[in-house]
Amino acid sequence: MTAATASRGVRPSRPRRSLMGPIALLVFLAITWWAASDEFGIDFDVPRLLTNLTRGASILAEFLPPAWDFLPRTFGPMIQTIQMAVIAAAIGCGTALPVAFLASRVSTPNRFVFLVDRGVLSVVRALPDILYALVFVAALGVGPLPGILALILFNIAVVAKLLSETVDGVDPGPIEAARAAGSGKAQTVRWAIFPQVLPNYVAYSLYAFELNIRASAVIGIVGAGGIGNLINAERRFFNYDNLTVILIEIFVLVFVVEMISIFLRRRLV
Amino acid sequence: MTAGATQPKEGRPKRPAPTTKRIFTLIFVAIVAWAVLTIDVRLERLPDMPAALANIFDRMFLRDGPEWSYLPDAVGYMIESVQIAWLGTIIGAILSLPLGFFGAKNVSSGLISNIVRQILNGIRAIPEVLVAVVVFIPMVGLGAYPGTLAIGVHSVGTLGKLSAEVIEGIDPGPVEAARAAGGRPLQIQRWGVLPQVLPEIVAFWLYRFEINIRASAILGAVGAGGVGEALVQSLQFRRFDRAGMLIIVIVVVTILIDTASGYLRRRIIEGGDRPSKGAAREQPELAVLRPGAQADAPGGP
Repeated sequence: MTAATASRGVRPSRPRRSLMGPIALLVFLAITWWAASDEFGIDFDVPRLLTNLTRGASILAEFLPPAWDFLPRTFGPMIQTIQMAVIAAAIGCGTALPVAFLASRVSTPNRFVFLVDRGVLSVVRALPDILYALVFVAALGVGPLPGILALILFNIAVVAKLLSETVDGVDPGPIEAARAAGSGKAQTVRWAIFPQVLPNYVAYSLYAFELNIRASAVIGIVGAGGIGNLINAERRFFNYDNLTVILIEIFVLVFVVEMISIFLRRRLV
Repeated sequence: MTAGATQPKEGRPKRPAPTTKRIFTLIFVAIVAWAVLTIDVRLERLPDMPAALANIFDRMFLRDGPEWSYLPDAVGYMIESVQIAWLGTIIGAILSLPLGFFGAKNVSSGLISNIVRQILNGIRAIPEVLVAVVVFIPMVGLGAYPGTLAIGVHSVGTLGKLSAEVIEGIDPGPVEAARAAGGRPLQIQRWGVLPQVLPEIVAFWLYRFEINIRASAILGAVGAGGVGEALVQSLQFRRFDRAGMLIIVIVVVTILIDTASGYLRRRIIEGGDRPSKGAAREQPELAVLRPGAQADAPGGP
């Protein structure tokens, strides 16, 4: 682009060669070799991969055709999955609202609360949902309850993080107006900040619900209820054609939920 | 807000009609009530819950654990998870780059890009744990290997979609210039498109690596290697002291890598050390949530 301003006939000079490129490439190759190697890493080699893939084709054949007569037996666990996702989203996103306001510089009452809240949030976010499910199953026994708890934590983490960043960026005008009219901290949040971030909050909550549907299909595998339980049972007995049915069902459910959520989000913004 | 500004001075702006809002609230309440009332949770267990949770927390971090002598082993398992995530991300990156080009309307044709986009959406709809459990563990057996493959395949979905979107947003100038200079189709992509999109795509790869670290920690829970497997076993044998140590290691390593990778991403995209702003920049996959963004495609991280 600067070439246009240079005088005619003169080529723009080459940018100076930087050492950063080669160094980054070297570091990248070193890490990759380390990770793939037999001694230090996970022993990943491509020739073996190819033999495995050809051998695996025969196993994949067992997935087809889907055993459609298995379908009625999946409805109960599937509904439980949806119930878990709904309950967790309602509780989790509700809790995330105050947590988010405490975690934003704009609306937090003081620096101490702000730092503690931020710290707790980043720790909670560092653990994936299924690990919470594992721990809760160990504490409470199998069933949907530990699954719901895991999803609640996960939702609080996701929604509070996103919402607190949105609150950071709100228009300061209404806040000033509310202050000038003599409102306290809580009133400012309620009447000057909350209405501004409400559409985002709803969008984030819908997004969390979508993630829940996907996640609650998975956390059942470790014993936390829902369709994942059934997946676990069927794979133990090598009923791969039944698994295909479940997979197709999850796929359809995720698709439908996302369509609804996209429609609602469009209406909001 | 705009209503107040454009309205003539006399009279307050009218309140918006509450009907739609009420209907949505009603539907929302009905759905939640249905879920709460019909779910098969043994409610009599609910009162014991806080005590049970406090007990396990106590045994993990205060009374019995964390068992610090287990630290080297725990770090070893976590390193295995990081390696799985790294290699899985590379597989995803290699496979997704060409798919990104084919999925971009301005580079490939409308029909091909639509087909590619739908395939990518399909891949994204199925979580990597399911990919591992259903496809790769039966195919190649337990261990780190199927986990890496599952992460690689699942990453293709998001990475391909994001790459295609970046490619669709390029400045057409360099492409025209390459064509005018007589570049062949592949050369046009290499010199007209790739330099424009590479920084942002590499940033996506790094971001995906952060997500994949969590995914690979999860994968162990179904027998696909890494720290998750160690955690499952320590919980099964009720070695909560070890589980506590593992959790601490997971949290610390994840936060460290997030921080390093986030710094790198900002450097790559902005070329300097200016801080960036906004959730969408920080977490590219949330770009769909930005107002005005075309959220046409289903699928998520």
